[in-house]
Amino acid sequence: MNQMTDFTRSETSPMLRVSELTHRVSIETDTLTILQGVSLEINRGESVAIVGRSGSGKTTLLGLLAGLDTPSDGVVELDGAEISKLSEDERAKLRASRVGFVFQSFQLLPALSALENVMLPLELAGIEAPEKRARELLERVGLGERLTHTPRQLSGGEQQRVAIARAFASDPVILFADEPTGNLDNRTGQAVSDLLMDLNREQGTTLVMVTHDEHLAARCGRQLNIEAGILTEPETALERAD
Amino acid sequence: MQAARKLMSVRRDFRERDVRVVLVALIIAVATVATIALFASQLQRTLVSSASSFLAADRQLEAENGRPIPGEWLEEARIRGLETGRMVEFSTMISGPEGFELASIKAVSNEYPLRGDVEIQEQTGDSARKVVTSGPEPGQVWINPRLLRLLNLDIGDKLEVGNLELEVASLLIREPDGGFRLSSLAPRVMMHVDDVESTGAVQEGSRVEFIYLFAGEERSLNEYHQWLEPRLEPSHEWEGVRDGETFSNSFDRAESFLLLGGSLAVLLAAVAVAVASRQYAISQRDTVALLKTLGLQGKGIGRLYLRRLALWGVVGIVGGLAVALPLFWLLVSLLGDALERPIDLYLDPTALMPALLTALVSLFAFAYPPIRRLRNVPAMRVLRAQPGETGREALPDLVIAILAIFGLVWMYAGELVLVGALLGGLALLLGVLALFGLVLMALLRRVRGGGNAWRLAFVGLYRHRQASLAQLAVFAMTIMLAATLILVRTSLLNDWQAQLPEDAPNHFLINIAPESVEKVESFWAEHDAPLENLYPMVRGRLTELNGDPVKEAVSKDERVNALNRELNLTWMEQLPEDNEVIEGRWFADDDTEGVSVEADLAARLGLEVGDRLTFTIGSEKVTEPVVSIRTVQWDSMKPNFYVAFPPEGGLTNMPATWITSFYLPEQGKQALNDFSRRFPTVSVLELDHIIARIQDIVRQVTQAIEAILALILAAALVVMAAVVSATLRDRQREGALIRTLGGRQTLLVRSTMLEFALLGLIAGVLGVVAAEAAVYVLQSRMFDGSFSWHWQVILPLPLASAVLLAMFGRWQLRPVLSVSPMLLLRRLE
Repeated sequence: MNQMTDFTRSETSPMLRVSELTHRVSIETDTLTILQGVSLEINRGESVAIVGRSGSGKTTLLGLLAGLDTPSDGVVELDGAEISKLSEDERAKLRASRVGFVFQSFQLLPALSALENVMLPLELAGIEAPEKRARELLERVGLGERLTHTPRQLSGGEQQRVAIARAFASDPVILFADEPTGNLDNRTGQAVSDLLMDLNREQGTTLVMVTHDEHLAARCGRQLNIEAGILTEPETALERAD
Repeated sequence: MQAARKLMSVRRDFRERDVRVVLVALIIAVATVATIALFASQLQRTLVSSASSFLAADRQLEAENGRPIPGEWLEEARIRGLETGRMVEFSTMISGPEGFELASIKAVSNEYPLRGDVEIQEQTGDSARKVVTSGPEPGQVWINPRLLRLLNLDIGDKLEVGNLELEVASLLIREPDGGFRLSSLAPRVMMHVDDVESTGAVQEGSRVEFIYLFAGEERSLNEYHQWLEPRLEPSHEWEGVRDGETFSNSFDRAESFLLLGGSLAVLLAAVAVAVASRQYAISQRDTVALLKTLGLQGKGIGRLYLRRLALWGVVGIVGGLAVALPLFWLLVSLLGDALERPIDLYLDPTALMPALLTALVSLFAFAYPPIRRLRNVPAMRVLRAQPGETGREALPDLVIAILAIFGLVWMYAGELVLVGALLGGLALLLGVLALFGLVLMALLRRVRGGGNAWRLAFVGLYRHRQASLAQLAVFAMTIMLAATLILVRTSLLNDWQAQLPEDAPNHFLINIAPESVEKVESFWAEHDAPLENLYPMVRGRLTELNGDPVKEAVSKDERVNALNRELNLTWMEQLPEDNEVIEGRWFADDDTEGVSVEADLAARLGLEVGDRLTFTIGSEKVTEPVVSIRTVQWDSMKPNFYVAFPPEGGLTNMPATWITSFYLPEQGKQALNDFSRRFPTVSVLELDHIIARIQDIVRQVTQAIEAILALILAAALVVMAAVVSATLRDRQREGALIRTLGGRQTLLVRSTMLEFALLGLIAGVLGVVAAEAAVYVLQSRMFDGSFSWHWQVILPLPLASAVLLAMFGRWQLRPVLSVSPMLLLRRLE
């Protein structure tokens, strides 16, 4: 293991530290600034909601925080590792061991059964006895009877529960969720977000969630607003007023 | 790694449509190439063995010096595992109860014939003929039926050959090596070689040819020839099937065609694999993005897909061979049926190599590049659709693909001209296509949406413009390849037919005395078989070249057969129709000097116009300058001459006899007996059996060509189906949407069919034009035929492709029409 990938964990440092994050994309002749000067810190065990309208830059921000993409400028430090300096493979390795994801569109592999979908990240991270752990998690999300079903045989809510089981499978220190209830009806969405919150609490995971659902955002310990690529934190403003 | 392994299993893969297409394309590639290679190899063997029977062996060694070859030469051949046999040919007078007749004797050993068979008839009249694979027993002769009448003999009678009395056991109907030799002018008598000595007809100095037959493995034959070569004298002639001027042309063309077919199959396969795997790579992007998000590194992704590719390779090769072998067997039995004789099934293991190599190259040059790029798929794709490939990154792929195609076709055909013509045609096609595509899309952009089928069709083309252009390219390419093959096949078959028409001359009259010429002409005119051209013939030897003895003037390495024997010289006023002057000029009306020399002979002697040639004719010498060099159609079954003089030229006053060929239908054969009685000195050479054999060969090759064409067209159809189905899902989703939004079924059907018909029409036109360009090069460089536009293909092919594609389009819509739109939309989610 080389120095870059030696992600030493320090219990006192914040889980996520972002400073002066800027992201631009070039479209044909023009350059578009998606994020501008975003700085933020998220502590271990915190649950944070990033709220904003469509096109405000929240999904881009999530991608950069999770190391799925690299920013044009600025620094992202995840669990002590400066991910903007890591290579793609090193970032993949970091994700395999410390990061979990839940997506709006579930992103299950259609050819694999529910059990196999949950086993996949365990196998990729080289965790032993992946099947046992996957079974436990699927039972925990209430799908113990549907292990062999493929995504096509499951409802949207059930698929998202499989995805949640998968997200927690490799014991991540931080979980990124992108509109986890966006594709679900209200009641199912409610059930899924309950499950997500409960599991998060049980496992002591740091949660970063992007959503435009204010109800869901309200269930998080902290809310951030994003508008036109600029991040603001209402509570901070309140504190200043005090 | 249970889940990951399952993700990579072929069985699971096969459930995915794109993978199915790649695998099917691969299987077809391997199957087509393997079938063609196996079949071509079988055909080659069948053709050679069939042609070998023209020699009654695989090779012949002729000793024209009147002496047998040393016994150790034959011993060496036997040591090398070759079968051997021998024959002695000479002319002598034979006598029966009523007079004498000059006969051409062929005495054969027990082993004769090593290849082919002999047809005889054991009773006179219309009794059944019999095919045997041996010559007469000692003490017996088989004779040409005409001798029966000339000598008033019957089967079972005795006739005398020299000092020996032999029993007429059968009539000789057809001998396998009844080649066209002027030495065998007289009617044939076949006897056993052991009887020759007791006839006393062969003496020191008599004109006799010892001919040795060899058969066996091609390699052993070639090794033996290498051993033999330094020992041969100028009067020895080693003859293989390919040396015979009559058939070599037909062979080379057949071989070229098979190679062309094989190369096209390789190209089609490559296109199919490239298209399908690109499609597959596109469909894999989400999975790769997810795997990356879950922490799989680039190397791991590369390994995952390489393993998958290797598995596909195994499936493609095994599956392809599983298709190819029964298909090969079927083709061979069809060939056997067509030939009305069984064929030895010959599975040439080396013929499978091109198929294996095609599979590997297809996978790694065509399938791998787009799949390799999967590791560059951004993980961010899981959150949001990312800009896809611009096509620019595929440029290196294209270079790899072109190099691979070049290499594959070269390996397969070994013909640079072929590779150049095909790739040139393809490059031209792609260039025109790119230009055309831009213009078309600019035009289509102006069409605005609306409710009628035409507008929907145009809008459809524009909306799927990338897919449309890609499909256009593949269709046009496929049509070009198929059209090239059809065009070459057609002109090849036409050429063959033209070469040997139904009424090709099948009889030669030789040795016509000058005073009989008119009577002979009027005899055949009365029997409805008019003679076309009569040529005088003077036997002479070429002895000097520009004043030097010709054997010194020509280097020793250049063994020129024409110098070893007497040449048939003639004079003629008109250049024969099928001859062509390539240097100098044909004789003017009042020319009295000069000669015209056949092109190959001129090349071998290094002759140019103006060189002076001296001929020794009897005791006289004639010296003339070369005024023209001309090509000759040796396989035209007409009298052909190496050297021609002008009518009032150097041959005037030389003793000449006349020669001609003419067509005599089977039912006119009766007249031959009358003719022989009235003109006993004129020799009749019956070539109808040889011609039947040549036509037989042409039929075999034609069969093979048709079969291979059918195979390749089938492959082309599959390629098209693969490409069309690449956009199946999108189109079905759109169809379902249009129906959901209230579009009527007929509108949907009509617009889709129109869209595909337009695509087919455009691709057809482009493909046919590119095919003409390729055929132009191929015709002029490989098949030495002349080029002309092929309206019979140019017009119908684009229409056929339009109809075909419209049907494909209709077929794609099937699920859209039969299932409720809601169900379909959910299924396509």
